[in-house]
Order: sequence, then C-alpha cells, then structure tokens
Amino acid sequence: MREQEESKDLLYAIRALEIMMSSGIGLEAAILSIAGGGYGIISEDFQKMIKQQKKGKKLEVAIRDLMKKSSSKGYNKLLTTMYNNVKSNTDVLKTLSMQASAEEEERNEKMQKYIEDLGGLPESLLSIGMISPILLGLIGLAPQLMGDAGAIMGTLPSNSTMMNIVRIGLGITLIGMAFIGLKAHTKDPGV
Amino acid sequence: MILDFLEILNDYPAILLLIIISIATLGGGIPPILERRRRRGLENAISEVLELLSDNIGAGEGIQQGLARVAEVRNDLFGKLIGDAMQASKATSFNAAMAEMAVKSRSKQVQRVINLILTSLEGDAPMQDVLFDMSQEYSRLNKLMNKRDTELQSSAFLIIFFVGLMLPAIIAFMIGIFAPKSSGMVVDDLNSIMAYFFGGATAISVLISGRMLGRMKSWFWYVPSFALFSMLIYILGFEMIS
Repeated sequence: MREQEESKDLLYAIRALEIMMSSGIGLEAAILSIAGGGYGIISEDFQKMIKQQKKGKKLEVAIRDLMKKSSSKGYNKLLTTMYNNVKSNTDVLKTLSMQASAEEEERNEKMQKYIEDLGGLPESLLSIGMISPILLGLIGLAPQLMGDAGAIMGTLPSNSTMMNIVRIGLGITLIGMAFIGLKAHTKDPGV
Repeated sequence: MILDFLEILNDYPAILLLIIISIATLGGGIPPILERRRRRGLENAISEVLELLSDNIGAGEGIQQGLARVAEVRNDLFGKLIGDAMQASKATSFNAAMAEMAVKSRSKQVQRVINLILTSLEGDAPMQDVLFDMSQEYSRLNKLMNKRDTELQSSAFLIIFFVGLMLPAIIAFMIGIFAPKSSGMVVDDLNSIMAYFFGGATAISVLISGRMLGRMKSWFWYVPSFALFSMLIYILGFEMIS
C-alpha cells in the first residue's frame, strides 16, 4: 500500500525538485516546498524530516532514516540522490532529470499494462458470473425437476438443503467476482 | 399493470427499500460528476496556460503582466480564475492572490503548478524555461490521463452491461423456461436468492468499473440504482417468460 502511494506522487515530486533546483533553489528550501503539501505521502515524509531536523538531527541522517522506511525503488533512488547531494555535494540536477525520465517511462509502461490487464476483465466477470448461477440454478431446481427420478438417482437432498447450497455458492461467486475486480485497484498506476 | 407490478415486488421487501435509496442517491451522484468535469477542464488547460505564460515572459513581460494577458486571451474558467486573482492581487499581495486561486481551483495539479511558480519566483528562477518545462510535463500527464479514460471506458461500460443487464436477463430466461409458474414448481426461494445475487453482482461490477476509471467514490452513488435495475430485470424477466 505504501509503495503504491509513494509511486503515485513520486514523478511530480522529482519534477518539482528538478525545477526548483535548476532555478537556483537549494535542496533544503526545495524539501521545505515539497513538505508544504500536494505530494501525498512524500510531503508527509518530508514534513517529518523537517521536524526531526528542527529537533537537531542532521539532514543526511534524517534522509537516511527515511531511506530505511521507503518501499518503492524509485523513491529510494530519489532519497539516495538527495543523501549524496548533502553528503558529497554531487550534481543532483542531471541525476534528477534522468530519474524523472525513467520514472515517466515506467509510469507509461504501467499504464499500458493496466489497460491491457483490464481489457479481459469484462469477459472474466461474465464467465464466472454466468456459469455459477446457471449451475447453481439447476441445482436449486433439481429437487423439483427430478422429483420422480428417485428410483434411478437415489434420494435427493431436500429443497431447503439445495437452497442453502445455492446461497453459499452464489456468495462464493460474489467473493470471487470481487477478487477478480480487485486487480483494478491493486494494479492502479496512479495516473 | 402498476398494481400487478407492485404485487410482484411485494415479495421482495429489499427492492422496495432499494427504490427509495436509489431515488435519494441518484441526485447525490450529480455534483461529483460536475465537479470532475470542472476540474478536468482546468487541468487540461494547464499546459496551454503555462506555454502562453512562458511565451509572454519570453517577450519581456513580468509574471503578473503575463498572467493578466493570459486572463485576457482565455475566456474559459482558467482565464476567469486568473483574472479574479489579478484583481485580488491589487488589494492584497500577488502571492496571497495566487494561493487563493489555487484553493479556488480545487485541483491538485493547479495547486502544484502555482506552488512551483511561487517557489521559483522566490528563487529568482528563469521563469520562461521553468514554465515551458512544466507545460510539456503537464501536457504529457494529461494526455496519459485522457488515454486511461478513453481506453478503459468501453471496458467499464461492458462490465456493467454484461453483469447488470445481460446476465440477469439470460438467467431469468433460463429459469423461466425450465420452471415456469404454470408448471406448478415452487421457485420463489430460488428467485429471491437469484435477485439478491444479481443486485450484489451489479453493485460489485459498478464499483469495479468506477475504480478502473479512477472515480469509484462518485460512482458509489449509482450502486443502488444499478443494483435495483438488475434485480428488476431478473424478476420481471422471469415473470414475462413464465
């Protein structure tokens, strides 16, 4: 969940840092601007980082702590770049630009994959949603349709037992449909 | 006819309740749709506005002058918001007016852009380049968002059509053929279970479709109506066939 939230706003945060730093704003001021809000979980993390800094913690230590907490690869890369900049005064602009391009490419790929993955969703839902009520409908009707076939088929369960089977079966079908649809949520590229 | 219809529904108290909930929630779904249309209109215009502003600054104008020119040229909501902000800046400060505009836009993208413009201004940044870069970025982002919308819309509607309309009609036909009322079979229990199943399945499919398009919260309002529609198709379909 955290990884998804990090990825959602990461590209905007990198672009914002890039724009601010290319226009001569320092890393700390850029962090402060991002912490001001608008970048979801990244803004929250940066706010905490500033609070820690105000309590006397060094910026590089606060960034390193955040690196341990981060879940997504891209966010970790961004924090590493920031850490290196603070520690060794590296050229952060070029790295940020490359990271943003890579992140953008990844987002486009994720989006394409999401569209492709969900393309088959209507058919999957229809298949499970159709087969199950047809079969269970026949099971529900069985005691009445084959009421006189006891000699051949043996004793059929009572109507109420059959109805309970139908209820449980359809309940499981609903859960199955919800699980199939869950990928619309879990694979969301955050665009 | 109406009395017959009500007589049929009398066996399904949940449907009667759902009719009331559907009527109440139908109206609730309209404001999120209007709000989204407004927000997307603003967001789709960001790229053009930034490009225009970049050109104006490149021509030697200041940021306020450039924004005033954008407000003159654009006769959409974005132009109006900028115009209002420029008016307000005469009474307050430029930064306060822009911050107010960001809040009024109710769009995260617009708020980010304004925040970046203000930060870049404070840092004495080369605004023409900054604005041009941002315009390109937001153009790409909005294209991607629109792509998601157009490409997934058909799948989303197909899900609702299949599960909410086709499925109950087919099953109603099947049960109506196998166990018509005239045959004396007792299928009241089965019909009731099936009707609630279709209500539940349609509710799930509406939520999935909404999530696919990234607007589950606003589609949530239409869950009772679609569920009711699907249940009615099954019940009335069965009555008709049998």
